[in-house]
Amino acid sequence: MPSYKIALITTFPPGKGSLNEYAYHFVRYLRQKREVSELVLLVDYLPGKEQYPEFEKDGYAPTRIVPCWDFDSKTNALRILKAVRQEKPDVVILNLQFASFGSGKVAAALGLTTPALIRLSGFPVITLLHNIMETIDLKKAGFGGNPLLEKLIRVFGYIFTRLLLLSNLVAVTIPKYVEILENKYKAKNVLLTPHGSFEEASADPVFEPPPGPQRIMTFGKFGTYKKVEPLVEAYKILQAKNHHDMELVIAGTDSPNSPGYLESVKQTYSEVKSICFTGYVAEEDVPKVFGDASVVVFPYNSTTGSSGVLHQAGEYARAVVLPNIGDFAALVAEEGFTGEFFEPDNTESLAQAIENILDNPIRRLEIASQNFAAATGLPVSDVVDWYLLHIQTLVSKKPKAKR
Amino acid sequence: MEMVSRVSGNISILELKGRFDAYELKPVQEWFENNTSVSNPKLVINLAGVHFLDSSALASLVQGMKRSRDKNGDLHLCNLQQSVRIIFELTKINRAIDIFPSELEAVKAFNE
Repeated sequence: MPSYKIALITTFPPGKGSLNEYAYHFVRYLRQKREVSELVLLVDYLPGKEQYPEFEKDGYAPTRIVPCWDFDSKTNALRILKAVRQEKPDVVILNLQFASFGSGKVAAALGLTTPALIRLSGFPVITLLHNIMETIDLKKAGFGGNPLLEKLIRVFGYIFTRLLLLSNLVAVTIPKYVEILENKYKAKNVLLTPHGSFEEASADPVFEPPPGPQRIMTFGKFGTYKKVEPLVEAYKILQAKNHHDMELVIAGTDSPNSPGYLESVKQTYSEVKSICFTGYVAEEDVPKVFGDASVVVFPYNSTTGSSGVLHQAGEYARAVVLPNIGDFAALVAEEGFTGEFFEPDNTESLAQAIENILDNPIRRLEIASQNFAAATGLPVSDVVDWYLLHIQTLVSKKPKAKR
Repeated sequence: MEMVSRVSGNISILELKGRFDAYELKPVQEWFENNTSVSNPKLVINLAGVHFLDSSALASLVQGMKRSRDKNGDLHLCNLQQSVRIIFELTKINRAIDIFPSELEAVKAFNE
């Protein structure tokens, strides 16, 4: 059986950049596969003097972490390319979304040239793209009010999508994304790799939340597409309706693109009772944060980045409240999930959707059961096998790298 | 989902009929376990009667192919309905797994 040295360009815990959690689980399974002879993680530098821990020698593929880029640096593409040339992997995988390399437009955009540069240097490249420009609502992402700027960003989004499509393969997690990239860009190298469930399915999932206050929980990196103000407002409506034995849990951190966001929310709503800001949730604490929740809420005004949290809510058998944006409901159903839907930017509608679950244990159980089945059908371990099949096909026809 | 298993020479053939999804995986996985316990297993899965296949079913076919290739054998698929073919094309798994228009061709390919 052929085996490969793989370089994965990504964020990785304890780094707090977006997609770090997906990377953690992807790597956990990837290094267990016999087709992997060595794994090198090309990650961003940690702040201050913090260091990445070393992987133990545990019988799986030897794995090293090589910090070689900085969030918001404009030279990331070249620095990563240099690291790839030094490592000489058989294949390079990038775990990306459009703002992976920076909160500034220039740094973020220049970082997106990385796959093309690596491929031009002769290394086969697979880019796992978690969002696409076409589904980002720029107005809600903070670029509204200036039609010219919005148009300009769309044009650059088109150009940088084209650059990403210079990868040998571009993997996306939603069928609709494949359709858009194939139809608009006439791409032939786009494929669907479902998100997959992080954990092996529990044989005995716990559908009921623990006794005590009903916890309304939201999870993520907040400040850009994910804003918690509507959720706090909806929570205030529920409090005013005499729902007293409950707690609002805002689990996670600021998006790297919105530093200081949650602290400002905390100050704005300091008078609202029973709100818990957990801060960064370490990997080992994730099951408890989900398990304690009566309902998981997605107070998003764009569906970007919702897939991962939806899968986690499903894995932990939680009911969810989702925004009714565009064809999101259809996409959710396509993946086998369900939820209670609310109208975005309408706090009354959000409060009602949450109440529909808190007050109706049968509805909560229905949603939790269906989402558990949907989330646990395909573990990340199987998804990793699909990548390895594609790597096998790619590497067997790769040109000689300029090393 | 209905399953019919038979043997043609040294080739094991599995015919599936109906909806192939997460709830129907177990018997198919057991069939793969039984039929890949020998060396050089040659497997043909006839999907003519399958009108729906989800990602976990697709993953089980990939696992079956991996198991057979691990033992120096292989797995061929045949007779895919359009709705099922789309899933293979969307995931590009059709580039990694051998798919034939008919069972005869899938069997014949093992003997060439």
